[in-house]
Parts: sequence; C-alpha cells; structure tokens
Amino acid sequence: MNFDLSDEQRALASAARDFFSKAASPADSRAALEDGSPLAPGLKAVADTGFHAILQEGGTVLDLSVVATEAGRVLSAPSIAGFGRVSVLDPTADLTAGVSVVDAGPALDAATATVFYALRDGQLVRGAGTVTSGPPLDPTRGLADVTLTEVTPIDGADRWEHALRVGQVLLAAEDLGTAERAVEIGVQYAKDRKAFGRAIGSYQAVKHSLVNAFVGVEQLRSLAWWAAWAADENPAELPLAAAAVKGLAATVLEQATETLIQVHGGIGFTWEHDAHLYWRRAKVDRFLLGDDVEAYDTVARLSLV
Amino acid sequence: MNFDDTPEEAAYREQVRTYIADHRDQLISVGDGARREGDLTRARESQRVMYEGGYVGITWPKDVGGQGGSPMQQAIVDQELGKAGVPGHVGLIGIGMCGPTVISHGSDDQKQRYLKRLLSCEDIWCQLFSEPASGSDLAALRTRAVREGDSWRINGQKVWTTLAQYADYGILLTRTDPTLAKHKGLTMFVVDMKAPGVTVRPLRQMSGSAEFNEVFFDDVIVHDSERLGEVNDGWRVGLTTLMSERLTLGGGGGEMGISGGTAASFIASQIGSLSEDRQALVRQDFGRVWTQLLATRYTGYRLLSAISKGAMPGPEASAGKLAGTKAGRQLADLAVRVSGDGGVWFEGPWQASQAGLPGLAIAGGTDEVLRNVIGERVLGLPPEPRADKGLSFEESVKL
Repeated sequence: MNFDLSDEQRALASAARDFFSKAASPADSRAALEDGSPLAPGLKAVADTGFHAILQEGGTVLDLSVVATEAGRVLSAPSIAGFGRVSVLDPTADLTAGVSVVDAGPALDAATATVFYALRDGQLVRGAGTVTSGPPLDPTRGLADVTLTEVTPIDGADRWEHALRVGQVLLAAEDLGTAERAVEIGVQYAKDRKAFGRAIGSYQAVKHSLVNAFVGVEQLRSLAWWAAWAADENPAELPLAAAAVKGLAATVLEQATETLIQVHGGIGFTWEHDAHLYWRRAKVDRFLLGDDVEAYDTVARLSLV
Repeated sequence: MNFDDTPEEAAYREQVRTYIADHRDQLISVGDGARREGDLTRARESQRVMYEGGYVGITWPKDVGGQGGSPMQQAIVDQELGKAGVPGHVGLIGIGMCGPTVISHGSDDQKQRYLKRLLSCEDIWCQLFSEPASGSDLAALRTRAVREGDSWRINGQKVWTTLAQYADYGILLTRTDPTLAKHKGLTMFVVDMKAPGVTVRPLRQMSGSAEFNEVFFDDVIVHDSERLGEVNDGWRVGLTTLMSERLTLGGGGGEMGISGGTAASFIASQIGSLSEDRQALVRQDFGRVWTQLLATRYTGYRLLSAISKGAMPGPEASAGKLAGTKAGRQLADLAVRVSGDGGVWFEGPWQASQAGLPGLAIAGGTDEVLRNVIGERVLGLPPEPRADKGLSFEESVKL
C-alpha cells in the first residue's frame, strides 16, 4: 500500500506553492470585494504557468488536485476545478479563452468567461452567452447567471457526469487548501495572543476547537486523495468518492473558517481582518457543483444497499 | 499512489491467508464467546496455533521467540485474521504492551522465563496502570510499593484492567518514593496475579457487560528480581508500554474506527419502512456519518502507508481515533433510531453498541487528552499550566 503523494507530486505542490503564494492573497480577494478589482492571479498568469492544462498535457486528476490545494490556500481565481471540468468535457478546449460550465444557478468563473458549456436536452453545447451577477458573497468565484446566446452542439455529453465529478473533486481539493490555511492562521494567533497572562492556545477550550478543525482537515485530505485517485484509476468508486469529498469539503471548510473567526475573538469578525475572506469561500463553495445536502444524500443512496 | 501490496507484502499475505485457511477450525470466531467464557481453552489454543505458524510476536526480536518482522507484516496478519472473522488474541495485552516492556527493560532471566510462554499463550498478561484516582493523570497513581529487604510490599488498587480475571501475570506501576515529583517516584514490577493478596473483581459497565476489572493489592509481596527497570524509573518504563499500545491500537489493521458495515446493512433493511420525509432525514444523517467513516478508513490507509515505508505512527494517529469513535457512536445511534418502537427496549445488537460506544471515547486516552496531545505535539500549542508543577507527589495530593 502506498496511499501517499509521489515525490513528483510533492515537487509539483512545492512549485505551485511558490507560484500561488506570490501571485495571489486574501488582499486580492478583499480588493475585488471592495471595488471590483481584477481577480488574482487571473487567467493569464495561471495560464502562463501551465498548471491550468495539466489534464490536457497528460497529467492526472491527482496531479491537478495537488495544485488546486495550493491555489485554495491563497483564495486563487479562476478556479482550478473549472479548468479540470472543462478539460474532461472538451479535451481540446482552449482553456485560455476563459471557460465556464453552466448548470442550474450561477456558474463558476462565468463573470469573465467567453466560452460556455452546457447540457441541453441531453446534448453538450458550446458557445457564447451573456452574464449577470448579483452582489458577490465571495468575489473570487466569478459567479454569474448565464444566458446562452449562440451555441453549437459538440461531442461529449457522455462525459458530462464524469466531468462534474472531477470538478467536485478538484473544488474539494481547493477547499482543503483553504481550510488548511485557515487552521494555520488560527493556530498562530492562538500562540501569539495572550489573555489572563498566557497564550490563549494553552486554554483547552481554544486548543480543542483548533484540534477539531485540524482533524477535519486531515480527514478531508484523506478523502481528497482517494477521490482524485479514483477519478484517475478506479472510475467505479468515483461516484461515492466524489460525493463524499464534496460533502466533507463543505463541512470541514465551514468548521475551519468559523473556528478561525472564533479564535480571533473581536478582531475576527471585523471587515478589516482577513478571516471573513476565507469564510466567504466556505459559504459559497458549499453551493457550487451541487450542494452538500445533495452530496450527503448521494453518499447514503450509494451506501445503503 | 496505489492500494496494492508490494510483491513481498503480497507473498507474505498469501502465506498468512493459506495458514489461516488451513487451521481455521482451530481458531476462534468473532461473537462465539470464546474470550468471555470462564473456560479459555479454545481462545488459548487459537493463539497457540498462530504462534506455531510464526504469526504471533511478529515484530519481536528472534532471540526472545519473535519473528524479527516488520510492523507492516503485523498489519497484514491483523487484516487477514479480521477478514477470516478471527477476533484479537486473548493474549493481546501481553503481546502488544507487556511483552515489549519486558523486552526493553527486563532482565535476561525475566525474558527467558516469560516471553515465549506469553507468545504461545501458556500465560496471559494484563497491564495494571490506571487507578480510581488517576486516569488521564496517570503519574498521580497511589499504589504503594515499600522495600522490605529483597522484596517489595504492595498495597493499592488498579482499575480498568482488561483480562485481569484470566491473567497469570501483570505489569504493575507503583509509587516507590512519594517525596519526589510525581513522575520521578514510580517503579514498574512484574506481578504474579495468583499471588496472595491479589483480588480481581469484574467491573460492570453501563452496557451491562463486564469487560474490565478492578484489581486490589493487599500486602502483596514481590521479589526485587521482578522489578522492570531501575527503582524510581518506572515512568520511562511505562512510556515504552504506552508507545507500544499506540502501535497496537492505532496502527495495526489500517481499518481504524468502526467499519460499520453491519450497521449500514441494518439501516438499509429498515429505511424502506419509514415515511419518505423520515427517509430523507435518515439519509442525510447517514450520509454525514458514513462520509466520516470513509475518511477515517482512508486516514488509516495513510498511516499504514507510513508504516509500510518504515515510519512509526506519531500522535497524528490519534486524529483517526477521534473522528472514528464519534462517527461510530452516531452510526449506532442511527441504527437504534430506525428500529422503530423497539428503540425503547434494551434489546437487539444496537442498544448494546449504543451503550458500549461512549466508553471508546474514554478508553485508551480520553478524547480530551488526545486533543491535548494533538494540540501540543502536532500543532505546537502551549500546554495548560499545571498546578502540581515543581511539587513532590506528597505535596501535590494536598492541592
């Protein structure tokens, strides 16, 4: 048994961390929220790295998920999940054009997309559309309602379900990175902040809350690896694995970001602090590519047989 | 990444599987009561058969009767026994905890006298650590050993002692110098459980069954040659035992927590009789619990992969225990919940599970202690200040 990342995947993660940690940060999320500044790193900068096209270049979903986790740590946009889903749907797609897949409800990365995909009457279509956005809860997801204008049928409807699941796996991998980072920030603050003469992280009430969030992150990491592996190597397990990781990502990211706020006390729920920027991810991502209630229902339907 | 055995592991697994199949009728089964009946003949026989095949004490050194094998081989044997429906050996506490302590700290004479008999189940061992007044704070234990010439006189009480009712020997942690700090004045002994003054009483749990015992020591005499390690160095000796426990309980089978398959089948068989609204609620609860159990399983595989590469499980292994016991409790509760009107009677397997599972969040380190361990050793958070710091044991008990 070797349920672990390979040396190559660890090197890939390290390279991705180098790039994303310089190219995006919660400050970019804040700027987008406050005055509609462009998202970071943005399509062009990500495309220059080649990370977006890992699947098209013969890499695995697990490879791409390792990158997604690093992107999630800094609230990067556009989503890695979107690149992955489109790569499965339309293997020769030009990902640098700005792509978005339209389901019911607002679509991920749609606000800046020029090429849209949708399933219409059992047929995969590709084409242009117009977008309208509401006031963003999390601006980094580029959400918009899409009205398709000119579309053309293309092959690939049979890949729709698989592409959706790959998207769920990658979105969960991004959430893993966001949750991991939220716990790190909370732990650091609990070491630094003093109350009643000692670090607040020495109090069990604070410590245990952070540990619960940490345990959640490690549980999520286990499912994120398994689900990505299943997408690559064992498609029969993917429906269960994708639903489980989709549901757990929502639960764990919410717990991690709400813990981050709570551990910070008063500063934690100010506009000025970054905690809410991570929290916004949690509150939006749970609804993307199907919601957590649906995902847990799927886990039960597939397992109660 | 893969979930396959290496060629060496696959070959070993095949060898183990064949041996178990060839001897299956001599091995006991989960649920057949062989470990709980007063007559342990079949349970002892079961372990002896595995010992004769070379599958007990796998990670022990060869010169004390072990196989000199790897933790991964141990995990493979545990998995194959599990698949064949064979429960843990009746000598588990000895194999996993007492034996390794004797190997590390015993005299040559003790090793000669005890270890092979322990592996072959001629002797059953127990571990005498916890006390009524010292559970999580183990080093606060009060059982006294007072030197009398070549011997020690022991008085006190232990509790939560698994298998004490059957045990021939135990490793016993005592206080030998109360004027030192609580960790400094402890000494470990091997004690003959049949010696005069040793009384074992079953301890009945909230589930109604008695899986543990209380053990009383009234003027029990132990010869100094039965001491394990130096006088007043018992805490360090005990750490060997507890680290072995982590490997035994945390890293062994790779299927940490409750596998839950039976509960899922039961819930699946019941759900159709509920209203549609209720079915949706049960599915929502079940989906959340099952997802946690899946995650616990794959967290266990990460641990097993680390063992396979030769690493020892660290404190992060506790993460799986925390998540797994919580989900296990929720699953048992859900099984009771879908039982319908029968849910108010204490009958059927899920009531017993429901009443037994709270203990899992306490035994082998409470959830709170595990969270402290993870918080302090993995996340690096500072410990809670200790009111007894710098005090001798005598002074600390007056706090």
